[in-house]
Amino acid sequence: MANVLDLRRRIRSVKNTRQITKAMKMVSAAKLRRAQERAMSARPYAKMIASVLESLTRRIDIFDETTGNLRHPLFATRPEKRVLLVVVSGDKGFAGAFNANILKAAFHFIDGSEAGKEIDIEAVGRKSRDTMRRRFPAAEYSEATDEAPSVRGPRKSRVELTGDHPGMLLKLETSRVYELAGNIIDRYEREEIDAAYIVYNEFKSVIQQRVVVEKILPLVKIGGQEIAASTEQSAEELARAGQAAATAGVSLEEADTREADEEARKFGTANVDYIYEQPPAQLFDALLPQYISSKLFHAMTESVAAEHAARMTAMDSATNNASDMIDSLTLHMNRVRQAAITKEIIEIVSGAAAL
Amino acid sequence: MADESNQLRVRFVTPERVLFESTVAAVELPGRSGALEVLYGHAPLLTELGAGDVRLHGAPDGDAIYNVSWGFAEVLPERVTILANDALKPGEIDVNRANEQLARGNKLWSEAGDSEAAYDKALTVIAEAEAKLATAAEKH
Repeated sequence: MANVLDLRRRIRSVKNTRQITKAMKMVSAAKLRRAQERAMSARPYAKMIASVLESLTRRIDIFDETTGNLRHPLFATRPEKRVLLVVVSGDKGFAGAFNANILKAAFHFIDGSEAGKEIDIEAVGRKSRDTMRRRFPAAEYSEATDEAPSVRGPRKSRVELTGDHPGMLLKLETSRVYELAGNIIDRYEREEIDAAYIVYNEFKSVIQQRVVVEKILPLVKIGGQEIAASTEQSAEELARAGQAAATAGVSLEEADTREADEEARKFGTANVDYIYEQPPAQLFDALLPQYISSKLFHAMTESVAAEHAARMTAMDSATNNASDMIDSLTLHMNRVRQAAITKEIIEIVSGAAAL
Repeated sequence: MADESNQLRVRFVTPERVLFESTVAAVELPGRSGALEVLYGHAPLLTELGAGDVRLHGAPDGDAIYNVSWGFAEVLPERVTILANDALKPGEIDVNRANEQLARGNKLWSEAGDSEAAYDKALTVIAEAEAKLATAAEKH
C-alpha cells in the first residue's frame, strides 16, 4: 500500500496539472471570444458580396437561353470525376476530438466516393497535413521552366495531396486565403477538377456546431449552402461544451446580427437603375471569385472559433477530472493515514496489555 | 432627402472588418476604368475598383487616405459603400515589399510569353505595387 508521503506527492502533481489545464481553458476562452468577434466582423463583407451578386443575376442576362444555366465557367457542372477536397483542421492538439472528427468526416468522404473518382486534397492546418501526408502521396509537379509552366506528373494513387497550408489558421489573413481560393478557381476553370468540397467545423455558437462537407464549386445557388454531409455533435458533447462555456464566461447565444445583415443585404440591391461603370457581365466575372474566396474565408474563421471552443471544452473536462482525482486521492490518503494511526494505537494498547 | 450639410454616408468594408463608417463631404474612388469623385446626390452607380487610393474628404476626424486594391463600390445619392479586398493606410505600406512585388510583377510580365492570362496577372501585380508605391511616396 502506498504510504502517505507518496500520496501527498501525487496529489500535488495532479494539482499542478489542474492549474495548467485551467489556465489553458481560460486562454482558449479568450481566444474563442476574439475569434467569434472576428467572424462577426467578417460578416458584412461576405453578405454584401452575396447580395450584390444576387441582384446582378436578376438584372442582367447571364443565363444561357438553351440550357437555362448561368453563363460562367464557375457555374458549369461536369460529371464529378476529379474532386478537390479542402480539409480544414486545427494546427494544435489538446482540443478533444476536434481534429479527429474533421479527419473522420474527410476519410468518410474519400472512402464513400465511387471507385473511379480521383481526389485531390488541400490540407489546411498542421493536423490535417500530418495525417494526410502519412496516408496519401503528394502530387508531383514538374519544375517550371521558361518555356513551359509546371505540369503535374502522373498520378501515383487515387488520392493525392496537392498542397498544404500549415499555420494558415494561426494568423488568418485574407490575402493567403484568397490566394488559395484563386488557385482552386484556376484549377476548376482549367478543368483540372470537376468539383470542390470543403470539410470544416461549422460554428454558430458553442452549443450549435457541426462538422460539414460543403460543396463550394461548381456554384449552384448564390447565397445558400450546399451541404454534402454533416455530423452533428452528440447532445452530451454539446452539454459539456455549454457547461465549459458557462464557467469560462463565454456567451452561449448566437450574436444578434440581424440588423447588420439587413444593412448588408441592401448593398447593390437598391431599387434604382444603377449606372454600371463596367459591363455587368464583367462585374459579375470579378465578383464570383470574390464570392468563393469569402466563402472559404468564412469557413476558416468558423473553424478557428470551433477549435478554440473544442479546446476550451476539453480543458474544462480535464480540469474537472483532475478535481475528481484529487478528491479521491485525498480520501484515500486520509484512510491510509487513519489506518496507520489505528495500527499504532493497537500496537501500543496490545503492548500495554501484555505487561 | 437632403439635409443641410449634404453629407455622404460612407461605409468602408474589407473582408476582415468594417474599417470606416462615417459621413464625409466627398469620396474619391479608384475605379477600374478611371478614378471618380463622388459628391452628395450622385446618380446610383456600381463600379469595380482597381488599385489606388480611396480619399475621404471632410470626415469628422479629418481627411483620410486608404490604399486599396481591387474591390467594388456602390454609390447611391446619399450613401457610398466601398468593398475593398485590401486596404492600407499610407503609413502601413511596406515600401520594400511593394518594391519586391513590383519586381515580381515585371518578372511575370517578361516571362508571360503568349499567354494572355499571364499578362493580365502580371498587370494586376504591377498595378497593385505601383499604386502602393505612389501612395507611400506621396506621404513622405
